[in-house]
Amino acid sequence: MGKIFKTKLTTATIVLIPACIGINYLGKLFASLLKLPLWLDCIGTCIGACLGGPVIGAICGAANNLIYGLTTGDNITLIYALTSLGIGLVVGILARMGFMKTFPKSFVCALGGGLAAVCISTPLNILFWGGTTGNVWGDAVFAATQASGMAVGIGSFLDEIVVDVPDKILTLIIVYLILKGLPKKLTALYDVNAEIERLD
Amino acid sequence: MKNISLYIDQGSWLNKMHPYTKLLYILTAIMIPLTGGKLWLFPVMIVSSLLLLASGKILKRALPLVAFSFTLIVVIFLIQGLFNHNNETVLFSVGIITFYKEGTLFATRIGCNILNMLLSFGIFVLTTSPQEFVDELEKSGFSPKFGYVINSVFQILPQMMATKDTITDAQRSRGMETEGNLLVRTKAFLPLISPVVMSSLINTRERAIALDVRGFGRKQKKTWLYDRPKYKWDPVIRVILVVLMIITIVWRVL
Repeated sequence: MGKIFKTKLTTATIVLIPACIGINYLGKLFASLLKLPLWLDCIGTCIGACLGGPVIGAICGAANNLIYGLTTGDNITLIYALTSLGIGLVVGILARMGFMKTFPKSFVCALGGGLAAVCISTPLNILFWGGTTGNVWGDAVFAATQASGMAVGIGSFLDEIVVDVPDKILTLIIVYLILKGLPKKLTALYDVNAEIERLD
Repeated sequence: MKNISLYIDQGSWLNKMHPYTKLLYILTAIMIPLTGGKLWLFPVMIVSSLLLLASGKILKRALPLVAFSFTLIVVIFLIQGLFNHNNETVLFSVGIITFYKEGTLFATRIGCNILNMLLSFGIFVLTTSPQEFVDELEKSGFSPKFGYVINSVFQILPQMMATKDTITDAQRSRGMETEGNLLVRTKAFLPLISPVVMSSLINTRERAIALDVRGFGRKQKKTWLYDRPKYKWDPVIRVILVVLMIITIVWRVL
């Protein structure tokens, strides 16, 4: 188990974090430019988690929301720093356990990340906004459950599942395709199990 | 969009104030209505934030922040006003749609909380440069490595935006469709984002080498080129804010 959380805090991993935060922003921007009904704002966090491990993933996620919250004035994202942290951690752990090796296995990773997001976001949604998420499809589901008299908790949970799980599945598919295309000389920088051979 | 930070230097007293004092104000503004428990405390804090924004000549720039949260507040009002579980007393009806008093009250509370948070954060966001904030954090013992992480986000993003524009143009000139039905738009996502992501990840390798060569990993204590001018009212404002918070707690307990 020790290997899963092993983190190399080298310059390369430190530089990876801002790049991942930039990628998160870009994903969100493209999603809104193309008017997709999903967020796609954690592609970078997932890349960071897969390359640098769960600790880097968690730092990427939390730093992402804190930085945007404190500079762009979008402080609604500030609250979801916990969610991003959870996604980075879970995806990082699953990736280290080998769930990003093949395409079918990456779906397990996506489900794990999606469920982490749902479990952390639901209490936050209820606490701050009484259960809504701000996403059109999710809130339509929430309104339907409330109209039919279901508990707020269950309604909000369904609200999150409808949005977060497809979002994370699409995110992890993109991450998988990108990671497959990265050159070996780059991924080798982040490989914790790599050993340097001496030739003398 | 060249810079994601909303900071502008108006030379006002809010710009001169220490970032920590402004953070303390955020804490006070959020804490007082929540611990005080009375609904009228929300408007009091919202008005005080608005006055502060006006005194810093940034009221106009704070409006987009409020507009941003408008949809969320409207949705909360609709859902809670129509479907809240405690709904009993009818407030008013439009055709077959009936708004209830309990849900609307609940939504007012949440809406006020959101507005209050947005405006108090607005004061911080609009008057503090990220660079200055990171410098102050590092001076009080924050790791310079993570300070670099924050600062470099602001350097990397404009670069990535430029790459993004180039790639969007390149893909369009090859005949890729970026507009149309949902399927077309979803299919366009990957060819647009993957070249930008790839190139920025590959750039990290060179950036890491460049930083290492300049002694980024050294453990020595860092020094600062820029010394922040002290603002004389900082301690006074901090004391007032802390006293206000204590008064609220005492008032609530009694």
